[in-house]
Amino acid sequence: MNDEQAYTVVGGRGSMTVFEIYIKTTPERLWEAITSEEMRKRYSFGVGTVSEWTEGSEYKSAVPGVVDIASGENLEVDPPRRLVQSFTALWSEDVQREGASRVTWEIEPVGTSCRLRVTHDQLAESANNELYGGWPMILSGLKTLLETGEDLDTPGSLRYSGAAG
Amino acid sequence: MDEVFKALADPTRRELLDQLFEQDGQTLSALEERLPMTRFGVMKHLKVLEEAGLVTTRKRGREKLHFLNPVPIRLIHDRWVSKYAAPWASALTELKRDIENEEKER
Repeated sequence: MNDEQAYTVVGGRGSMTVFEIYIKTTPERLWEAITSEEMRKRYSFGVGTVSEWTEGSEYKSAVPGVVDIASGENLEVDPPRRLVQSFTALWSEDVQREGASRVTWEIEPVGTSCRLRVTHDQLAESANNELYGGWPMILSGLKTLLETGEDLDTPGSLRYSGAAG
Repeated sequence: MDEVFKALADPTRRELLDQLFEQDGQTLSALEERLPMTRFGVMKHLKVLEEAGLVTTRKRGREKLHFLNPVPIRLIHDRWVSKYAAPWASALTELKRDIENEEKER
């Protein structure tokens, strides 16, 4: 998505949210952390994401047999810089009713670090804030993992870890 | 992290974050209307917030929109809310929300 792209900003939180974080790592390692099922589990509430990571391929985020979290299509795949995905939340009936939105991951090297920007847009006018409310915790856990090799151990961040059989 | 605390240590800048929390993605002009302050003053405060990573911007046509980026605050939270304290903190937050929702429903 380029900056000129049209989108609407409306009442409440708006139909677009932007989250940014600086992580001391390389774009390649950051890309791997976003697309590796095992690494992803370690900072996304214990939820893994499975995909072939090619343009037009599907992805699914779930704890198999426990809970489905999200699914969608990889609309743009440009490693290690940019990933655009459609996003349909699945974890409750309430969020399922929100339908599809869009998540754009942008990685930009800054000195010896990377800026990761996650833009979650094409949200409904007063979208359920559960849809995008998890991003700060996920990004904080991602930073901890890449910079220290350890898992963020606040309870919410490990919500589903160990839940799968 | 110093920059985040410095940015938050000012009531006007906290008010700007409140405004973006209320409605995300606002222009400088919109924010200026909501605060009893000159355009220059608002710009100056937004710059401090941007440098601390608490506000991020996107362009839409000729407009520059400002978004609240809560991630730096989350990092502060995760540093000091330990795995022992967090269940209490989260239970208390839920209790607070339940009580406030009840108040609203009345």
